[in-house]
Amino acid sequence: MTTIHALSHRVRRASAAGLLVALAFSGVARAGGYPTVTDARLAAAATDNGWLMFRRDYAGNSFAPFTQINTHTVKNLHLVWSYRSHLKQGYESTPMVNGQYMFITTPKDHLIALNAVTGKVLWKYVRPMPGVGFKTVCCDVVNRGVALYGDDVYMATLDNYVVALNAISGKVVWQRQLKPADVGYAMTLAPMILKGMVIVGESGGEYGARDFIQALNARTGALLWRRWTTPAPGHLGANTWPKGMYKHGGGSAWITGTYDPSTDTLFWGVGNPAPWLAKLRPGLNLFTDSLLALHPRSGKIKWYYQYTPNDSWDYDGVNTPVITTLRYHGTTYRAIVHADRNGWFYAINRVNGKLIYARQFTRATSVEGFKNGLPYTNNALRPAMNKQVFTCPSFLGGKNWWPISVDPVTHLAYVPTIHTCMTMKGAPTFYHPGLPYLGESFEVVHDPADHHWGALQAIDLDTGRQVWDHESDLPWDAGAMSTAGGVVFSGSARGHLYAFDARTGAVLWRSPQLSSGVIAPPSTFMVNGKQYVAILAGWGGGTPIWGGKMVPVVKNIPRGGHLYVFALR
Amino acid sequence: MLSLSLAAWGVPRGEAAVPALYTAAQARAGHRAYEHHCAACHGRQEQGLVGPALSGPIFASPKANYKVRDIYLFLSVNMPAYAPGSLTPKQYVDIMSFLLQQNGFPAGRTALTHSMASTSAVPLLYHGPRPPTRHARAGGGCGARPSVPRSGAPAASPHCEALVGALPGARTDPPAD
Repeated sequence: MTTIHALSHRVRRASAAGLLVALAFSGVARAGGYPTVTDARLAAAATDNGWLMFRRDYAGNSFAPFTQINTHTVKNLHLVWSYRSHLKQGYESTPMVNGQYMFITTPKDHLIALNAVTGKVLWKYVRPMPGVGFKTVCCDVVNRGVALYGDDVYMATLDNYVVALNAISGKVVWQRQLKPADVGYAMTLAPMILKGMVIVGESGGEYGARDFIQALNARTGALLWRRWTTPAPGHLGANTWPKGMYKHGGGSAWITGTYDPSTDTLFWGVGNPAPWLAKLRPGLNLFTDSLLALHPRSGKIKWYYQYTPNDSWDYDGVNTPVITTLRYHGTTYRAIVHADRNGWFYAINRVNGKLIYARQFTRATSVEGFKNGLPYTNNALRPAMNKQVFTCPSFLGGKNWWPISVDPVTHLAYVPTIHTCMTMKGAPTFYHPGLPYLGESFEVVHDPADHHWGALQAIDLDTGRQVWDHESDLPWDAGAMSTAGGVVFSGSARGHLYAFDARTGAVLWRSPQLSSGVIAPPSTFMVNGKQYVAILAGWGGGTPIWGGKMVPVVKNIPRGGHLYVFALR
Repeated sequence: MLSLSLAAWGVPRGEAAVPALYTAAQARAGHRAYEHHCAACHGRQEQGLVGPALSGPIFASPKANYKVRDIYLFLSVNMPAYAPGSLTPKQYVDIMSFLLQQNGFPAGRTALTHSMASTSAVPLLYHGPRPPTRHARAGGGCGARPSVPRSGAPAASPHCEALVGALPGARTDPPAD
């Protein structure tokens, strides 16, 4: 077996040895220039030659129009360059590309700029975090990538800073802390740029943080608006909480949202309520586990849709809400599609927030069904003190944050999936800043009806029904990307980048084994007429920590970060 | 009140600031249990990895304001994360003893119990390095905490970094995913 690790010694390789110091600023890069990222370029990011934002475009499709790598040529992919990082935690960053500049982030908030064609390191920024204990970071010390605007690059950090750096030099332009570190809050998401604002969301649903979405002036860092996700008395939804509990009610906003220019609406998903044990907080607990439709200039709520009411199973509603158009029972809808942690694939009218349809994409028993367009739960499957339940999916979800891709050509959504259930039981808890606030014990186990831990499946947007399914003995913890070449890319826990036929799911190409498993989404870009595909390997994230019976299955997956860039021979 | 409670814990005169809450044997057993159940996420030196550090001045800081019972409750109910509550009460108490030791609490003659750990309002503060237990700290390998060197302890070796699934020398061609 020839591994990519071995191959990389034979190609140009950018070494990460030493690090911590900004390397020489690249004359090559300067000569190539840095193309300024304008609002117009962001609005047209879907067709840009680079990869300018988290899910490529504001709609969140992660669909690229490039056709050079297609169903016929993909078999000729080979490694162009690679870059290795010494950190042993999980790598969840999407490589962002503007011109010939590529930006990746690593665990513990290192930001690295590389030449996208050669792999040469241009500069490196290591977030200084002296005195930070990473005590309230639930699921590995990850970062999911940067945002690009003007000549700057933006990162949200585990110590709750938004940092703007000059994209060419790596020098800090401004930084602003939203909350202290280690008291419940942390940030792991890729920021979003919209209308001159940088927008981020806080994590902390496992620590009793009261979470929020925050907009800042992208040029100065000035705070613009804050959307708390659990309402204070007197605000919409306040009566869905027992008195005072909104103050430590969670509702984290830890995955980047999407934007619909046709309705001028910012969409953002909200995570689980705190504590996990719902018996301690009767009520719907808005806006946890919900989709928020927001006025982008003010953060005010236009409407909301709650995926899981009074959640007792940690079913964060943060998974990317993808903007699309679909036809259901003869009617065309401007829609959001969203594969939720609770195991249901939702199609929601993005104009008014009404449910179009919901269909299970993996076994789902906690959320039992829908009535008048709203979900209802199986109350017998609610844990309590001295009451253990068995329900599906597990708290890791039918899928976790790993983003779906929506292909407008095939009209399919490509959905990373895990087949898990769990036991869950109430347990004592109390709120203390900087400590977990759960109130449940649990164990993730296999879905008894499925012999695989994971899958990548394709779902028809018009029906919510599965079209194809690639099953995996290991969990499938990586995001998906589709292309106009008819190829869907995603990485496996065993450490292969896969290229699937977008229509059939046939495996068209599989990379040699990478140096670690993949939990990050891939990206693709064009430079000088050549299409590249980039992927970070680096196993970690929530599964090896909280994965119950999955933990021994994945424990021997090697650790360490490795960025790989492929192109045709 | 403070002196009374410390006396009850068997704290020698002159060291009243740092009570002895566990025995050396408990810490040794706790070290073994820690390495098996905790080190993969928190590091073999409790230095933090994918989970937070569990010893040192940042973890056990006055600002954090942890009591022994706070940490013990979460430990015994929600850890290890892959199978919360799956260890025996003795194992949890032993691990708590080990964490106290690694945060500079001295060993004493009175054993820590589940009941004591569940109710102890003693502030969990870092009191500086303590001598290692006999188990595993001596000898080669991951024996030293670089920031808190112990007399005679070996330097940390590179392999200490590969805590979860060390890179194998040769990988075999796997089945399809």
